[in-house]
This record gives sequence, C-alpha cells and structure tokens, in this order.
Amino acid sequence: MASKTLVLPGETISPDILPTPTNPNLLLKLGPGLRHVPPSTITSTIAGPLCIDQKKNAIWVENNSGRYIPQPNDLIIATVHHSSTDFYSCSITPHTTFPQLPQLAFEGATKKTRPQLNSGSLIYARVLTASKHTDPEIVCYNPSTGKSEGMGELKGGMVFDISLGLARRVLMAKQREDGGIAVLEEIAENVAFEVAVGRNGKVWVKSGGVKETLLVGRALQEADVQGLGVEEQVKLVRKMIRQV
Amino acid sequence: MPREAEPSINERAFVLQALEENIRLDGRALDAFRDIDISFGDDYGVADVQLGKTRVLTRISASIVAPYPDRKFDGVFVIITELSPLASPAFEVGRQSDLETHLSRILETTLRRSQAISTESLCLVAGQKVWSLRADIHILSHCGNLVTAASLATLAALRQYRIPDTSIKGGELTVYTPLERDPIPLALLHHPLCITLNYFENGEKMIVDATLQEQQCSEGEVVVAANPQGEVCLVQKGGGGEVDALVLLRAVDMAVGKVRELGKLVDRALEKDSKMRDKGGISAELSAENER
Repeated sequence: MASKTLVLPGETISPDILPTPTNPNLLLKLGPGLRHVPPSTITSTIAGPLCIDQKKNAIWVENNSGRYIPQPNDLIIATVHHSSTDFYSCSITPHTTFPQLPQLAFEGATKKTRPQLNSGSLIYARVLTASKHTDPEIVCYNPSTGKSEGMGELKGGMVFDISLGLARRVLMAKQREDGGIAVLEEIAENVAFEVAVGRNGKVWVKSGGVKETLLVGRALQEADVQGLGVEEQVKLVRKMIRQV
Repeated sequence: MPREAEPSINERAFVLQALEENIRLDGRALDAFRDIDISFGDDYGVADVQLGKTRVLTRISASIVAPYPDRKFDGVFVIITELSPLASPAFEVGRQSDLETHLSRILETTLRRSQAISTESLCLVAGQKVWSLRADIHILSHCGNLVTAASLATLAALRQYRIPDTSIKGGELTVYTPLERDPIPLALLHHPLCITLNYFENGEKMIVDATLQEQQCSEGEVVVAANPQGEVCLVQKGGGGEVDALVLLRAVDMAVGKVRELGKLVDRALEKDSKMRDKGGISAELSAENER
C-alpha cells in the first residue's frame, strides 16, 4: 500500500524507508522523480510526497507538473491534425511532435472497413510506443486483448483541461479512497453523463445539455485549481447543482 | 515548432451551441470582463496587468536623442512588443508572427497616431535634443484578448511614469536626477484604450474579452480604440466573416461603454499606487518620530 513522506530535490532517501520485498529476487523499481546514484544512493530530483508501494516494490515521487510526456500504455485524448497515406497525425499536446495513429489500428478494421476520421476529430487512444528519438505511436485498441474497450472516436461533448496530477488521480481504480476525487461520483447521483479521461490532462464530458456538461467540466476544474479535499468537493458539487 | 492547439470539432460545436443559449464557458455575461488586476513595480513606469490568465508587462523608459531631421520639434515615441514562447507554444523567438504585427499596429495607431502623448512636450532643445520614450511590452501569458491587456498595461505605465525634470539656461540643458528634483509626469492629452469584440452568428452576437478558445471559434473580430470621453481613435476589422454596417456601429457603442469602465479601473489603480508612494511631504521628513 502507498504511504507518504515529503521530499525535497536533492534529498537522499534513507534505506530504512525503502520497502522490504517479500520476494528477495524482486528488484526495487524507481519511478518518476528519483535518481539512482551508484552504488546504493537514491536521491529525489523533484519536490513532492514520496510514495511507496510494498506490493509492487516500487517508490516514486508524486508531482503535478505541467507538460505531458507520452509513456507507453497511457490512455490519452488526441485530436486528429491531418491524415496521410497510412496513418493519421494527431496532436496530444501543443508542444510535442505529432504521434502517429495507423489507419488500421481500430478493432476489426480492414482496408475496406476502417473508420474515416476528419481533421479535428477527437479520439480516445492508448500510447503504444514512445521514445525520445521517434514520433510516438498511438492505437485505438488494447494491444493485448485486441478489443477497443471504449477507445476510438469521441462524438459530441466537450473537452476540458485539467492538471496532470488530477488526471492521474481520476484514472485510479478507486477514485475516492486512493485519489481523493469524489466529484464524479457526486455528480453521477444527479446528472447522467459520460466521461473519458486522458492522461495528457484532458477530460471529455458528454451530457444531456450544455449546462450539465459545463457543470461536470467546471466542477473538475475547480477541484483541481483550488486543491479541494473530498468533503469540500462534495460541498462544491452540491452548490453547483443547486445553481443549475 | 510553433503551433497553437487548434480546437477540435467537438469543442467548436460546443462553444457555438453554448453561445446560442447565451452561455459562456466560464459563466460570464456576454459583455463581462474577466478579473482584471493592475499592479505597478518599484520603479516608475512598470505596469503588470492580469486579465484572467492573460498577463502583460509594460515598461517605459526614456533617453535623450537627436530628433528626426524632418521633425525638429517632436520627440520620439516607440512601442516594442515582444511575444515570447513563455506566453504560448504558438510563439517563436525572433520571428514576427501575424499576431505580433496585428498587436503592434493597433497599439501604434492607438497611442502614437492619435497623439495620446504630446510629442512636442518631449522636445528639449529644438533640432538637437529630444526625449525618446520607449514602451517595451512583454506578453507573459496568452489566453485571449492580448490587445486589451496590452493597451491597459501600456496606458497605466504611461500615466504612472515620471520623466526626469529638465531646465534650459542660456542654451545649456540640465537634466535633474530624482534626488535633485522630483521627476514629472508625462503630458498625456487623452487616455485611449482598445477593446476587442468577437462576433458569432453573422454579427448577431458579440462578446467582449474572449478567451483563447472563444477567439478561435469566433467568426471574426472587431477592434475599437476609444477614450473615456467617447472619442473613437480606431476601428479595425481585419478579415473574418462579413457583417452588416449596423453591427460595426453596435460594436463601437459597446466598446465606448467598456472603455469608460476600464478607464475608471486604471484611475483607481493609479490612486492606490500614488497613496502607497506618498511619503507625506515636508512634515513627514522633518518629523523625528521613529517607525517601530
């Protein structure tokens, strides 16, 4: 389970905080924000809470940084920019190069039955490969199962920008306990809506009318900007619902 | 590479649909501004304006130069705009983008060609020495409506700036340092400000102070520069969908009202700043009481 202490850049992590693995052959995994200085020192490079996961034998520093860097197996919301012969060039963030989405990378797609995406369409996709030297590649199906699992073109609705930290917390399996996000569950009790969260800091919301969609989007953005805890989020949502 | 995030089809459709119901994404009225914050630096002539997430900093500086040979009695006033990549991923260092040309042209016309500053008052020794005023406008963050933010910052900085006092005795020019004589305010003939209005639905709907998203989804924009007395200095419609002449007249009306509002904001900010700087005059200097 994850337990937290606060670290500053340049602090050495003392060995007694490090998790003791049940399986001694399992190596300690270092996540983002930590650097290994051989032979056995680990220093943090950013400020934030240090998270330790005993089960996976991993440690990392949580951060809410500004720009998204594509990592394999991340779910993201991309906008198609233009299409060329074999693939679509999509935009994930305005700062990076265009990832490529092969035109056949959809569930059950063949040359004759592939979906036609226009420039400017929104898609929910998974990052397949991402490295410093090549353009990232994204696909609209799960490579291990071959099913689309909700990925593909997103029709209608609206996209809102949120911070990377909030996107990560919303994507956790148990939003309320681990991530501290109660906004979506609270709103779901009163309003019907669909959401797709991209790890690149974008949330796609679709609901009955403009006001409901705006309610969901703005509730998330307010919870993000003001850094609200679970009870404060519930209060905010109740206030916003009453205004609609 | 410089690239601004273009809105997707879904976002565009949503913004237009919301506007049909007269709803803006941040819940403002169609003619409401975002929160405006005007603050000044320690030196005279530095103004920092925050309009929602858009942020502009202007600095005024002056130096003595020889005048242009065909304008022997006029001082020089230059406006330099700088759009750095810090403000938006669409900007690149050193390359003049369309937005920068648009911005600098509008500010030139509003402040220089409308004679907001009396350039004759900047003349020191005719034909030999004049003040050269320079306004450096730095765009720190771009989230829509750069023109209004930049014009607010520049006007506030100009009104707050104090230029060193001078005197001429027998052909000899003496420039006094701030310790010898208090610097004097600039001679501003009027206080013009720019308002950008974005229109939708063939000019039927106009919004004031559009965010970047609303600007990208709009059909076009009209820039109006006026002063709080109601005199219009500039009406510019560069491209965009065609509109009726009545729409332009409505835009000018709306803009003049908004300029009055903004003018009062600048007045209040300047008052607050002068109170902070006021050291109390002679009686405060002669007082022997210590600050505890």
